[in-house]
Amino acid sequence: MEREKKIEEYDVVIIGGGAGGLTAGIYSGRARLKTLLIEKSLVGGLATYTNEIENYPGFPEGTTGLGLMNLFEKQAKKFGVKFKGTDVKSVDFSGEVKIVETFRNIYKSKVVIVASGGRPRVTGAENEETFLFDKGISFCATCDAASNSGKDVLIIGSGDAAIEEGMFLTKFANKVIVSVIHDEGKMDCNEIAKAEALANPKMEFVWNTVVKRFEGGEHLENVVLENLRTKEEVNIKVPTCFEFIGYLPNTEIFNDKLNMTDKGYVLVNENMETNVSGVYAVGDVTDKFLKQVATAVGDGAIAGYAAEKFIAEEETYKSQILGKDGVVFVYDASEAGCRDCLAEVEKLEKEMQKNHCVTRVDIYKSRGLSDRMEIDEVPRLAIVKGGKIVKILGENFDPEEVKSILA
Amino acid sequence: MAEYELDCLGEACPIPLVKAEKKLAELEIGDLLIVLIDHSCAMKNVPEWARKEGHNVEIEEVDDGEWECVIEKVK
Repeated sequence: MEREKKIEEYDVVIIGGGAGGLTAGIYSGRARLKTLLIEKSLVGGLATYTNEIENYPGFPEGTTGLGLMNLFEKQAKKFGVKFKGTDVKSVDFSGEVKIVETFRNIYKSKVVIVASGGRPRVTGAENEETFLFDKGISFCATCDAASNSGKDVLIIGSGDAAIEEGMFLTKFANKVIVSVIHDEGKMDCNEIAKAEALANPKMEFVWNTVVKRFEGGEHLENVVLENLRTKEEVNIKVPTCFEFIGYLPNTEIFNDKLNMTDKGYVLVNENMETNVSGVYAVGDVTDKFLKQVATAVGDGAIAGYAAEKFIAEEETYKSQILGKDGVVFVYDASEAGCRDCLAEVEKLEKEMQKNHCVTRVDIYKSRGLSDRMEIDEVPRLAIVKGGKIVKILGENFDPEEVKSILA
Repeated sequence: MAEYELDCLGEACPIPLVKAEKKLAELEIGDLLIVLIDHSCAMKNVPEWARKEGHNVEIEEVDDGEWECVIEKVK
């Protein structure tokens, strides 16, 4: 028998407590929306695994990932965001009210912001877990290039990311050794990158190899590769090993619910909207150009702001548009044709006296309301009766027809 | 489907973890164990262990520096 789940209602539920989710929380909390943030492990996300963050603006002396994320969390809490430390079991985005389910609760929300991030794919080699992130196994050249100046580094993989990041690392490192699983001369990256890499004197390739185990004390010291053909072990003495063998977005629970790329990244537009109205996605879980704290923060700000707008428009739509019988005039105040039509509408308003109201929606300010009414051309006159739009008329509307429909 | 509370307030690592392991072993599948913690190290290692074991876990800060770690025994 299943335990009964407690139902709670929110304006905004954020799934994931990394940089993107926390920023969305700061914005929606500050907009006085009742906000819940659900994080399955520790608040702060992937950034907390980075020891030093030197490129996040505002911290000229640098900061630690954990320290920075603690500040984000503190700021979100200041604006009243509630935190739950558990994982989301399932979601249902099919209705107007979105449902997010954990093992103890059912959360009903007007808006959901997906900020579930992703994780780098790992090799699965022996001792890998011991040295992950700041202990010597890195997944980010941008993050860890400077600290490897003048040293030898190892790269695992031969795809576009591996080779392009490898070329970037040659500007800092003494030597960049690349372990490639394929036969000599065969790589997964594009031909241009391949030719450049093979010609780069600072790059060295070890063909037909995979990682067998990682060795070291507190920090990584040696990587043991295995030659797949000869079974021979090759020791590579490096303080940092970069793995570029893919990235896995945490989107399993959104399969068939949100539009995604074939690799599982959520597709969003520039307003962070997914294909489902009222559902947004931010940060590393989205299909984006650069995965950084700084870019996740930008996404989060947009989604938090968009959530506030969406909820306000939803309320206006229900109370002002569908709340009473009458006429809704949708127009663009910057267009002359619309202004002429407005005069006709004002005449009609006088004739109808106080029996029915006339609401004006100016799409020049925002298209949110007209989109909800499914009106994409202006001017249009929507007639609302009994909480429904019963008819949509064009600019040459007949005032008598309007009156008879409403009568 | 009983509910048990384990008060580990004022106790430092690894005591809460050891106590939680012991207590959970006595429970039936479907039972809930609520561990009260006020040590930030235990707030990490208790849920981490429970998650690794495959149980359902939820952690909530009930007061400043005080957490409730709810574990549902699933196997």
